Amino acid sequence: MGKENKISLAQAKAKSTARAATVFLIPALLLITIFIIYPVIDTFVISGYKWNGISSDRFFVGLENWKTLIHDEMFWKSFKHNLIVMVFSILLQIPLGMLLATFLDAGGKKFNIFKVIWFLPYLMSSVAIAFLFNYALATNGGIISSLATIIQGKRTTIDLLGTAPNALYTVIGVMAWQFTPFYMVYFIAGYGNIDTSIYEAAVLDGATRWQYIKHIAIPLLGPIFKTACTMSLIGSLKYFDMIWNMTQGGPAGSTELMATYMYKLSFQQFNMGYGSTVAAGMFILITAIALIFNKVFKVKEVD
Amino acid sequence: MNKKVFATILATVLTATTLVGCGGNSSSAGPDTAAKAPGEKQTDGKNLPELTTEPMTITLWDIATEEPAKSAQEGAVQRFMADYPNITVNQVHQQNDNYKQQLVVAMSSGQAPNMYIHWGGGPMAEYYKSGFANDITDMYAKYDHPDFIDASVAQSTYDGKMLAIPFGGLSGCDIFYNKTIFKDLGLEVPTTIDELEDVCATLKKNGYTPFSLANASKWTGSMYYMYLVARHSGNAEFDAAYTQENGGSFTSDAFIYAGTKIQDWVKKGYFPDGVNSLTADDNQDRALLYDGSAAMMLHGSWQVAGIKADNEDWYNENIGVFRFPEDTEAKEKGVPQDVEIGTAIGNGFSFNCFKEDGSVDQDMLDACYVLATQYYNDDTYNQMQMDGGNIPSIKGFDSKIEDPNNKEVVKVFFDASNVQLWYDQYLPASVTEVHKDCMTELFGLEKTPEQIGKEQDDAMKKAIAEQ
Repeated sequence: MGKENKISLAQAKAKSTARAATVFLIPALLLITIFIIYPVIDTFVISGYKWNGISSDRFFVGLENWKTLIHDEMFWKSFKHNLIVMVFSILLQIPLGMLLATFLDAGGKKFNIFKVIWFLPYLMSSVAIAFLFNYALATNGGIISSLATIIQGKRTTIDLLGTAPNALYTVIGVMAWQFTPFYMVYFIAGYGNIDTSIYEAAVLDGATRWQYIKHIAIPLLGPIFKTACTMSLIGSLKYFDMIWNMTQGGPAGSTELMATYMYKLSFQQFNMGYGSTVAAGMFILITAIALIFNKVFKVKEVD
Repeated sequence: MNKKVFATILATVLTATTLVGCGGNSSSAGPDTAAKAPGEKQTDGKNLPELTTEPMTITLWDIATEEPAKSAQEGAVQRFMADYPNITVNQVHQQNDNYKQQLVVAMSSGQAPNMYIHWGGGPMAEYYKSGFANDITDMYAKYDHPDFIDASVAQSTYDGKMLAIPFGGLSGCDIFYNKTIFKDLGLEVPTTIDELEDVCATLKKNGYTPFSLANASKWTGSMYYMYLVARHSGNAEFDAAYTQENGGSFTSDAFIYAGTKIQDWVKKGYFPDGVNSLTADDNQDRALLYDGSAAMMLHGSWQVAGIKADNEDWYNENIGVFRFPEDTEAKEKGVPQDVEIGTAIGNGFSFNCFKEDGSVDQDMLDACYVLATQYYNDDTYNQMQMDGGNIPSIKGFDSKIEDPNNKEVVKVFFDASNVQLWYDQYLPASVTEVHKDCMTELFGLEKTPEQIGKEQDDAMKKAIAEQ
């Protein structure tokens, strides 16, 4: 008993903090276990079965589904589409977001109206955006085709969603329209975090606005770039909702992504076992790419 | 680093759980106020199972989110509940778009409804094999039911077992055309494919798009493919390709003929530009008829109700219908020219009435049977179906139709020697997806008829192997 009395105040505080932390973390841990850890493990378990998703009979087939996955052209084709989407998302959304943020940062309060207007696309639901662009890009009475008709003076059709290579790039463009505002706000916050005294010091030393951005602001925004890229990368590898509503992976699989392929297998083709294998494969691929990305960027920072 | 790895895993982990949640609107209908003697039931005096007097709740899923189907189907449920006040029917209207997936999720999680809508074909077989559809063969033989046409009974049957009660009405597939354009150009309704091609050429020359087609939906383009195959070979080659036996293949004569014809028509500009990006879900094909740029449209007969609802005057003035023309060469060889594409049931109800231990819950099944056969499909319901432009798949209704186009549709349908159910509902689910993608590639001129035949063969062989 005597021993306990000798605990220092600091130790007592640490102990109670630990206790409080445990109490506060348990609900979150429970939720994560139920809704994330368990489904992931279950996905891997189901990937070992041949199962139509509804029957009570499941046949254990071991690694059969995984063997199929490795040789599944459609899966690798979707993965390739995901990579294309990823590269273009990073190349389009982040620089554009940065550009808009820089513009708004330089303009100050009088540009607040642009801030609101440019942020609007991000506030819309993906499904609404999909419908909106489906109408706008329609070959029959859509904005693009109608404008082309007016300019050409005869009925002209610009088919952006209905032919193979166009569709993927069109969808990438729509994604950029949707997500650029997010990165814009992100970079505005980044700019806000740079101390104004740094800007003042630079101006006193005779730096132009451009020199300030190039040599001071962008290097200071480095960590933000990295996080933005990671988010964009993961986002584009697991992308699903808007593409599903716009093209359902079509025409003829040319906008099929891993997630849409997984969905089709699981819920339309009664092949939950293999659908789960695709989901698990996605999980492995995305984790691996994200880790590699983080590692590579870290090395750069040290340089 | 460990922390970072964990954080990355957490961030990406969601990908494995991108599944949809269940949801839906539930509406419990109140009692009906129809004038009827107290205690008298609509089912009195009929040969039907005696229904329980214990309280019971039936969950029913349909896709009647819109009028007129909504009132017709809610009305049926209300009349039933008024007659059997101890039975509550929990009627849930699901969104059509996600319905099939929702049903799969519900079945896999043990939340399946007791009575649910479907379209027959491959999925119905799948539900039955997985133990979510009662076999009602004996009940159907024993008790009263509407006098459904044979094709619709056949379509509610799988492996010799009756699994569904039809209630959606039949749908034919025919060519709707603009009578005014035909008259202006002095065109006659074609009866052979050669004549059809002449008509197309004339239309094209005069600045019209011969066919309106929205092929982003894929099953729309499939209609042309199915009909050309059917005219060239009847049911023979498709049936053979379906089993992949005795040389049956999607690369056989009729399929190559159909594919080649379609691609020829695409090249000649007989279909609208950007055909693969137009969707039928928002009626972009109908829009091309409305603005007068297209003259014909091969489509399901539900279009009659749709066009009529959009603009009845315009419909009456301009829209006519004819059956898909005949293949003269094939006819000379004795190939039947009266195989029609369509569905005899439209929709059916299957029942999922089982107890915890897996045995049949006969009390509930009896109630569902009475509801589906006597309240859906009763006079009030059928009249509402007819008013909405639908044709009940019950004998005798063909004579009650007034709309001239629907009359023609029904005549073609009843005169058919055989009705070929839409491929995308007849084929196994995995083959359906391949077939639909092939339609995009065919109309987009991305693959040859041989290539898509080969792809469909591969998918079909795989599906057969997995059975």
